[in-house]
Amino acid sequence: MDVSAQLEAQKSKYKSINVEKQVPLQFDLGLLAGFDVNALEENKLKVETDNYLKSYTRDGTQLLINEIFRLPLTSVQDVGVVAELPKIVTAIPREKPLPKPKPPTRWERFAKLKGIKKNKKSRLIYDERRGEWVPRWGYKGTNDDGANEWLNEARHRRNIEEVEIDASQQLNSAQPQLKSKVNAKVLKKTELRRQITMAKTSTASLGKFDKPVKGEPSNTKGAKRKFESNLGDIQKEKEARLSILNKIIDKKGEILNVRKAIAKNNQQN
Amino acid sequence: MRPLTEDETKVFFEKLTKYIGNNVLHLIDRSDETYYFRLHNDKVYYVSDSMLRQAVSIGRDQLASLGVCFGKFTKSKKFKLHITALDYLAQYAKYKLWIKPNGEGSFLYGNHILKAHLGRITEDTPEHQGVIIYSMSDIPLGFGVTARSMVEIRKLKPTDIVTFHQADIGEYLREQDTLF
Repeated sequence: MDVSAQLEAQKSKYKSINVEKQVPLQFDLGLLAGFDVNALEENKLKVETDNYLKSYTRDGTQLLINEIFRLPLTSVQDVGVVAELPKIVTAIPREKPLPKPKPPTRWERFAKLKGIKKNKKSRLIYDERRGEWVPRWGYKGTNDDGANEWLNEARHRRNIEEVEIDASQQLNSAQPQLKSKVNAKVLKKTELRRQITMAKTSTASLGKFDKPVKGEPSNTKGAKRKFESNLGDIQKEKEARLSILNKIIDKKGEILNVRKAIAKNNQQN
Repeated sequence: MRPLTEDETKVFFEKLTKYIGNNVLHLIDRSDETYYFRLHNDKVYYVSDSMLRQAVSIGRDQLASLGVCFGKFTKSKKFKLHITALDYLAQYAKYKLWIKPNGEGSFLYGNHILKAHLGRITEDTPEHQGVIIYSMSDIPLGFGVTARSMVEIRKLKPTDIVTFHQADIGEYLREQDTLF
């Protein structure tokens, strides 16, 4: 098949890809730019401005594209032929001026003066006892106050005897002698409450049937409220309610209004 | 929703007996169908057996009200009787009080009852007794607590308070949001 004729016809539609210039163009392909220093033809510019400028632009573009095609070309899937652009050669000036160095803050000046350096603590530290790197804090860390130890020495809790001795000393001395920073008044109150609860529950029935003292808050520690079932036994519920009602009515006193009865009786007679 | 505990029942019945005395029996022991008192969201509801069985299947957050609301327990476990209980209280009232038409308006706005408004009153009403208040045409209007006994009321001036206002049917409009 000879298609050369059609090819010729096609080719003749377009101008030649070779362009003649007096001074060859400078190219910076990283910027996709070409720099043309040739002089423009004055008379053409004046007479047929549009056409001249159009053809001039076309020539420059053609030269640029020629140059691009001289680069190493690769074929990429779904995109086509791709050229790798070289690095930018032209020095482009800054958009904004260089930032001025900020004056050191009050802390920075102080730190510099004292020679304080910032020490960033690492998350993991080597725990000698466990013999491995564990987090400094958090899950399975070394910071847990001995919560998971199998044995802890009693460090914080004060013995009851010490507290009592302190309390009695306070009564005698002007200045309360405290062993630690604990408030003596609060300590005495809490200890007293503890003692009260212990005394209350040290009866045979654990203080359940003692007469409640008026105004004393009942200790409901650990007591879970229990309610009857919603659709329980009808008869039982009715009987319970009736018994409560009867107790109330009996307490209220006379149902019979004696005066009224006498008056009525007198009326009838 | 749950049945009332013993302490709660005691407080509740004491309040009721103040108004209807031993007729509370008729509320508990009914001939037609068993009615229960149930507690839901600190409010006491009087509900029939059949309705209770249906209400049980409604979730706690979804259940707004059931049966008749008699009143509610306050935060300090005192019981406050609401006007919605009026129907039952009026049926079984022990002590009644009738007010004149000129006093109706005042009472329905939440004011106490003065001697000038007093129409009739049951005999031998003691002091601080719960009474049901009716209009002269025997329509129950609300309830209150007597300020003085019958004997002393006779000696009072017309502007003296005879009965303290506890609840009136005007509350259906005033206290819409909190009644049920």
